[in-house]
Amino acid sequence: MTAQVESPAPPDAPPAKPRRLPLWANPRIGLVVLLVLLVALFTTLRPAFLDTRLTLTPLQSDISVYLVVGLAQLSVLSLGHMNLAVGRMAATSAFAMGLVHDKLGAGLIVSLAAGLLVGALLGALAGLIISRTGVNSFVVTLAMDFALVGLITILYASATDGVAFPTMPSGMEALRFDTFADYCMGDVCGPRIPLVVPIAIAAALLVGLFFRWSRVGREVLMTGSNMRAAELSGIPTRYRIVQAHALSGLIAALAGFLLAANNGAFSASIGDSFLLPSFLAPVLGGTLLVGGAVSVLGTALGAALTQVIYKGLNLLQFQLDQLQLYIGLVLLAALSLDRFRHVLAERRGAKL
Amino acid sequence: MTLTATSLSATSRKPELTLAVIAVVGFVALAIATGGNLLSAGTLEAFFRFLAVPIVIGLSQMVVLAVGQMNLSVGALTGFCAMAAAWLMLEAGLPAPIAVLAALALGLAVGLANGILVVLTRINGFIVTLATMTIIQGLRYGVNGPDTFQGYSEGLRAFGRASILGLPAVFLVAIAVAVLVGLYFSRTVSGRKLLASGGSPFAARLSGISNDRSLITAHGLSGLLAGVAAVITVAASGSVNATIGDDLLLPSFAAPIIGGVALTGGMVSVTGTVLAAFLVRLVDVMQAQFGINPRWVDLIIGAVVLGAVLLGTVRQKLQKGST
Repeated sequence: MTAQVESPAPPDAPPAKPRRLPLWANPRIGLVVLLVLLVALFTTLRPAFLDTRLTLTPLQSDISVYLVVGLAQLSVLSLGHMNLAVGRMAATSAFAMGLVHDKLGAGLIVSLAAGLLVGALLGALAGLIISRTGVNSFVVTLAMDFALVGLITILYASATDGVAFPTMPSGMEALRFDTFADYCMGDVCGPRIPLVVPIAIAAALLVGLFFRWSRVGREVLMTGSNMRAAELSGIPTRYRIVQAHALSGLIAALAGFLLAANNGAFSASIGDSFLLPSFLAPVLGGTLLVGGAVSVLGTALGAALTQVIYKGLNLLQFQLDQLQLYIGLVLLAALSLDRFRHVLAERRGAKL
Repeated sequence: MTLTATSLSATSRKPELTLAVIAVVGFVALAIATGGNLLSAGTLEAFFRFLAVPIVIGLSQMVVLAVGQMNLSVGALTGFCAMAAAWLMLEAGLPAPIAVLAALALGLAVGLANGILVVLTRINGFIVTLATMTIIQGLRYGVNGPDTFQGYSEGLRAFGRASILGLPAVFLVAIAVAVLVGLYFSRTVSGRKLLASGGSPFAARLSGISNDRSLITAHGLSGLLAGVAAVITVAASGSVNATIGDDLLLPSFAAPIIGGVALTGGMVSVTGTVLAAFLVRLVDVMQAQFGINPRWVDLIIGAVVLGAVLLGTVRQKLQKGST
């Protein structure tokens, strides 16, 4: 259920590491093993974990949302940048979707397109400021987050009577509740997979293809790997920075849309919980913060791992505080193990 | 623009001067706009009382920025230490001084743990503190669940309300802490080593400075300052619950960044950080005085942070052009 695309290190990776790391040092494989172990553990403790209707279907919806959130962060991590406003961009875009539907009576597709446009424009604005001024992306997107947090509340207070739009475009209900099992051709019905899953997979595939095969995507990675070298090779690095940030905003908007579909409303609280998971999914999947390389497949696995942990601890009826405590610990352990494996592999490589 | 270990040179003082002018002008303008209401004893005291925590939390972030790191757990840690101090006084029945020391020690310990994790795992500090933030949030909630602690030590409460020469005692504590942090970075060997590590880890290593030790020291100090912020919160607010610290993360970055501290490390500006916290507080008070939607404050602070950074870049370009 994940995109079979991953980008290796860009062609201009430093020649200091000529040898590829051995297979067992691949973080993706570690994640798969961890995922399988956790699912086995949760199933032993609570067999309801494998209950399709109760657990697996909502779990797939959650993974879809957070995979897309992770992709939004991944788009700028490719540059070595960060987007701290990812949640707020999603919220602003969701507001635009709700507004276009509520005030103009637009349908699902038009509303979605308007929201995606708003997201892309916000991202492009961030990218423009960063590339024009050379200010650290952390600061720019942090300031943007500050500004948007205020804006969203004001917008919702003025356009609705509270914190959410009362109506949703038709078709959102289907996205929320239906699975492919509800659609039959004759006697053959689809599997019990929510309708949002293919949207997320399509997004992951497109992002993967973008970074792997498209000229713009490769040039974004090169810009992230070594900006000066990229510039000297004739790559319009400023333009690529704007594009990568616009892509991040666009995907954040899509994440906002998917969460609105899952929650059943365009509300001001969309995106509140995006920041931490947006980093966890790509970082667990082996994408570095320094830029120059991304792993879409790893991001999908990272998102799946995080959501499986949440769901499992939830099913085991952990309290909110314990939930946070354990998820933090598990993530630290996963990151440290990954790091440990990497160091070990490098040492082995050096001895050969 | 290499302001590495030779911080506080003439060039780095300039933004502080600008900030000071803006702060004074803003304060006077607000005093006039409110018809002198701002200068009445009660309002002025409240102004400075609630300035104490933003100053200390801004310094807490600044210390890790000095070595080119970030500490996302400052807010959650402040809340956790505050809850722990209140728990020690109410549930364990310990006297206030011991609870205060324990809160400081707890902050220091968690900060050191952050630093050790960063050094041992070699994972980016941003990610490590993101993870520990989640853990600390869980611990903070675990102290007392959703309930509120109140009615603890009268002495501590009295200290929170006390004022000396018209200035709240907690504000004076914050200023004293700021002076100590300033002296630490300008006068002590350990502080200079932190700046050297932040400015150029490679050069620092060649000069015989342990970068690992610098990282651990910086994170430990940051945790300790979060502990100080927690004690101030407990003393000044009179009741604490598990939401303490949730609204501190963004201001903790806003103060040093507006104050001119670079994210790349190697330079600090205590004066700038304090002045920036003052400015943010001015915007806050303006909101309260004129009954503006509090959400505009976030919008304005966002714009101010961005504006400050842009000004800094423009100034750098001008300086480059003139030399």
